[in-house]
Amino acid sequence: MPAVSPPHSPKDRSSAPARTQKNFDKLYRDHVDLMYRFANRLCGETEAAKDLVQETFLNAYRGFKNFRGDAQVSTWLYAIAARACLRMRRKRKGEPERELSLDEFIPTSEGEFRLQIPVDGLSPEEALENKELRQALDAAIDKLPKKYKMVLVLRDMEGVSAKEVGTIMGLNERAVKSRLHRARLFVRRELSARGVDGTTTTHAETYR
Amino acid sequence: MAKRAAPRGEKRPAARPHQHGKGRCLHILRALSAYIDDELSGTICQEIRLHLGACPNCEDFVASLRHTVSLCRHTSAPILASADRARMRENILKSARTR
Repeated sequence: MPAVSPPHSPKDRSSAPARTQKNFDKLYRDHVDLMYRFANRLCGETEAAKDLVQETFLNAYRGFKNFRGDAQVSTWLYAIAARACLRMRRKRKGEPERELSLDEFIPTSEGEFRLQIPVDGLSPEEALENKELRQALDAAIDKLPKKYKMVLVLRDMEGVSAKEVGTIMGLNERAVKSRLHRARLFVRRELSARGVDGTTTTHAETYR
Repeated sequence: MAKRAAPRGEKRPAARPHQHGKGRCLHILRALSAYIDDELSGTICQEIRLHLGACPNCEDFVASLRHTVSLCRHTSAPILASADRARMRENILKSARTR
């Protein structure tokens, strides 16, 4: 994945903080919770998330000279974490990467048009009190091919703008939005076709 | 989703069958994230709203996509314990010195 490439001109380097433990401590203190949340959402489990956070801050510490003062620190750290995550997953021989096609998200049975989980009339917070729903959502996100998962996590869970996601992942905004749309459709389908209780109605029941 | 399926079934028992080709639904499906993110022009939004008014399946589909995004936005993540935070900091600094 193309990285956020901090500029390497001498002019830019002058604004980079020195690689001192004091500067590291401030960076760590201010951003470790953000990175841990991001890592948990990417990895889906806490031990892998802790590994990813440590790898991220180690790489950040080593790359202090590359940090440009006018870029957001969080953007820089997200990009380091995203790269580290790809490397870690490759080592673990994670799920194969694949492209998601829009065609695969066209519902084929009546039950697939709606979510098969109780959300109507509930706030998202109330709906998420349902443990089965939370597990189904986590499982759906976990099944996403990683390049789609990263965009969904950054945009819809971390609340990062499409432009910033593009900077983090080395993509243009259009590509970010295309991946985001497919990722959302993927998760939506997982929550509809399978559902918490596994029931679906057939297309024929409504379209006679 | 038993809670929702029953009343919907009573309200709309095959009242609005699919009268158009699936191509139109696919055309709409491509634009739905941009639609719910409010990124489309007024003309295209109007076109989509017209389609949704005539296509109950697409209407359900949009609602389910909105719900999906809303759920993603409201998920929580575990908080890092103080002891873990301190231990990880030590690990990082140790690795930085040795690697």
